Parts: sequence; structure tokens; C-alpha cells
Amino acid sequence: MKGTQHIDPHTTLEPNYRSSSSAAREVELISRIAAGDRKAFEELYGLYHRRLARFLTRLTKRYDVAEEVINDTFYIVWRKAGDFRGESQPSTWILGIAYRKARNAFRSSSRILSVENPEAPPPPLTSDESIRTEELRDWLVHGLGQLPVEQRLAVQLCYELGYSCEEISTIMGCPVNTVKTRLFHARAKLQKLLPALGGTSPKDGGNRESSEG
Amino acid sequence: MIATGDPASHEEAWLSLPWLASGRLSQAERDKIEPHVRTCTACREELAFQRLLCNALTEPDRVTYAPGPSFRKLMDRIDGSSPRTRPTLEPQRGARRTGASIHRPSLWRPPGLAWAASFILMLGLAGVIMTLRQTTNPSYTTRSDVATGAPNVLHIAFHRSVTVGEQAQVLRANGAHIVEGPDSVGVFGIAPGLETSGDIPPERLSRQLRTLSAHLRADPRVRWVEPVPGDDSPGDAQVSTSRGP
Repeated sequence: MKGTQHIDPHTTLEPNYRSSSSAAREVELISRIAAGDRKAFEELYGLYHRRLARFLTRLTKRYDVAEEVINDTFYIVWRKAGDFRGESQPSTWILGIAYRKARNAFRSSSRILSVENPEAPPPPLTSDESIRTEELRDWLVHGLGQLPVEQRLAVQLCYELGYSCEEISTIMGCPVNTVKTRLFHARAKLQKLLPALGGTSPKDGGNRESSEG
Repeated sequence: MIATGDPASHEEAWLSLPWLASGRLSQAERDKIEPHVRTCTACREELAFQRLLCNALTEPDRVTYAPGPSFRKLMDRIDGSSPRTRPTLEPQRGARRTGASIHRPSLWRPPGLAWAASFILMLGLAGVIMTLRQTTNPSYTTRSDVATGAPNVLHIAFHRSVTVGEQAQVLRANGAHIVEGPDSVGVFGIAPGLETSGDIPPERLSRQLRTLSAHLRADPRVRWVEPVPGDDSPGDAQVSTSRGP
């Protein structure tokens, strides 16, 4: 396929962006980008593209929109690399830009603003354990489509990308308690939408004092 | 996240469960909430559910996103909108020559009526070049830049309304898996089954590809499927173009 690269999923595992060595490498790349180094820019782009493409495609359901947001994000990275002072992790800085771009894309595009049809039934679950995880993921993606965008983003940043509460609050530009509240409501809504996923009702469990503990 | 010292209350612990599930709590935070979670049935059940959520969302995707075409688009945008020259490790020789030629005074200036003659000559040359281009280039254009590809790979595009989950479902139902893409226009390269093409006799592989493309073309969610490069089956090519973009 001309214009595409065949990437073996087994050789392009997600970078361990939380390790100090990879963070240091990314800081070095950003400083080279600030000096106009295109090779460094391409390397940083490659490190983030897959992660962002999955995150944003799941969010928007459209790869072309996801690609637009990724490129808007890295356009800013290219132009503002000199402003990065290392006060946060590079991944938090980049995801913060991506978050704002994704939110703007939602606001400016009614085609994405609309949540999925709540009447549409989620895909059926099978009893076959070998493909159950994948179908569970389809269910979750369906359920995420029903959530308000801020809650959806909080869920993805926490469970999919593994950011801490403080990092999510930096990325989303809101207090830590707001992040917790968004996740609490997202979880409650997910269970309401997808009762077959099981789990304890957050209302029952979350509001009950520790009588059992 | 949680003030250290006293054991966490049920509500504190409950609100921190997402990060206990994702492994992003500090040791101090874990020491604070884990004693409660161990003895609280509701928190344990909720933690189990949240771990399920983590596993489902971090499971590797069947779709592989290729960064190359997107990166080239971005660089075109950067080069197009940024007139200032940034220092690079690899100096752009072409750009430097262009820059130099802008500032260098032209050595030849046609005098008087020679301007008109030069203009007419240029028009004539442009006409000749256009005619040559029309006779040597095909009159059709494709919407994708797919010209060549790996052997034994089908190229497929779905309708825009089809979600990524549905795409994976269609491919899974037909026993296909993604080996390339998507490229900048959403075209995937797919192959049948999970066996490597080297292990299958060419005739059998060819049959599998034909069957797979026939099944996929029958699916209304599929926009088009291209035949295998080099496949001279006229039927395949005809069907492909009839469903083409």
C-alpha cells in the first residue's frame, strides 16, 4: 500500500512513557524540536501517534477526525516546543494539548457532538471466553459513546491511558475533585446503560459508610 | 490524593478505586485505602469491575495506525504555513537554492519586443507540455494513493458511517485480519486467517482471497474491496470498480 507503513503490532508496543528514561528521552526530543530538528519531531510523533490515534478514534469514531486532532496537536508541539519548561511530564503536556484540540473539535463539529443513539442496543455478548474481552470492549465503547464528552475523556485518560488523578487534572485543566466526580458519574452512568457489565452500584456502594470495614 | 494519616473512609476509598485498579496510586495512598478495601465487600466488587474495565480498554487493538502518511501531511502543513527557515540537522538543499535564486539578480533581460516574443514562445511550450501530459497520463484519478502493495493483501475501505468497532466485527466475522494501514484516506490492507501467507500454497491462498473479497463485497457496510495486485481475474476487477468510490 503506497503511502502507508506496515507496522507489526508486536514490534510497536506502547512506549513505557512513565519510565524516567523515556520521559528524559522525550524532554531531549522536545529541546531538539525547539531548535528545528525534524528528525526529533518525527521520532516524537511516532511515539505518540498510535496511542493518540487509538484514544481519539475511540472518542470520535472517525480516524480522519482523530488524525486531524493529532496533527493540530503536533503543529502546536512544533511551534511551542521552545516554551516547554519541563514543569510537567512531556506526555502530560502533549495530552493536555490533544485534550483541548479534541474538545474544540467536539464543539465545532455537530457531527461528533451528538452522542450515539441511546435506543440502539449494544452489541450482543457471547459466551465464548476467547472473544469475550473484545466484545466487552465493544460494549464499553458503545457505553462511552453515551457519556458527556468530559466524562468520556476522563474515563479514557484514567483506564485506557493510565494517567494519575493529578495528571488528569493537569491535562483537563480542572481540580482533582472534579476529575473524581466525573469518573464517579461516568461509572454510574455506564452501569445504568450496561447493566450486564455487572459490578456494584456506585450509588449503593459509594454512599454507604464503611459499615463493613 | 488522600491525606495521609488516618485510614480512608469508604467514600475516600471508593473515589480512589479507579487509580487503585490502574495501578497509579502511590504507596502511601495504597497503604491508606487498601485496609478498607480488604474488608469492604462493595469496594472489592467495584475494584474487580474497574480492573475489568482497565483490561478491556487497554487490550491491544486489531487496527494498526500507520503514522507515516499523517506525518507527511503535517510536514506539508508546517512547510506551507511557515515561511521562516528553521535550522535543521538536514539542510534543505533545494530550499537553499531557491532562496538564493530569489536574491540573485537575473542575468538575462529580453529587450523591447523580445518580451512579447518570449511570452508567445512560453505559451506555445505550455501547450505542447499539456498535450503531452494528456496523451501519456490516464484520464482517471483515484481517491487514494494506493498504487502498490504487499502481495496477497486485499485493500478495503468502509463507508464513513461504519464505526471502528463495526469494522473489526465485519473483519472478524469473515476471518480476516488487518496487516496494513489505515492510510490517510482510511484504506486498510487485510489478509485472510491468521496463518502467514508463506505457509499456504499459492492456489489455496488465491482461493481464500477470492472468497474473502466476495464475502466482503456482499456486505453493505463495505465501500469497496480491491483485488490482489497482479490478480488478472476480470471478474474481480469489474466488481471492484463497480463498488468503487
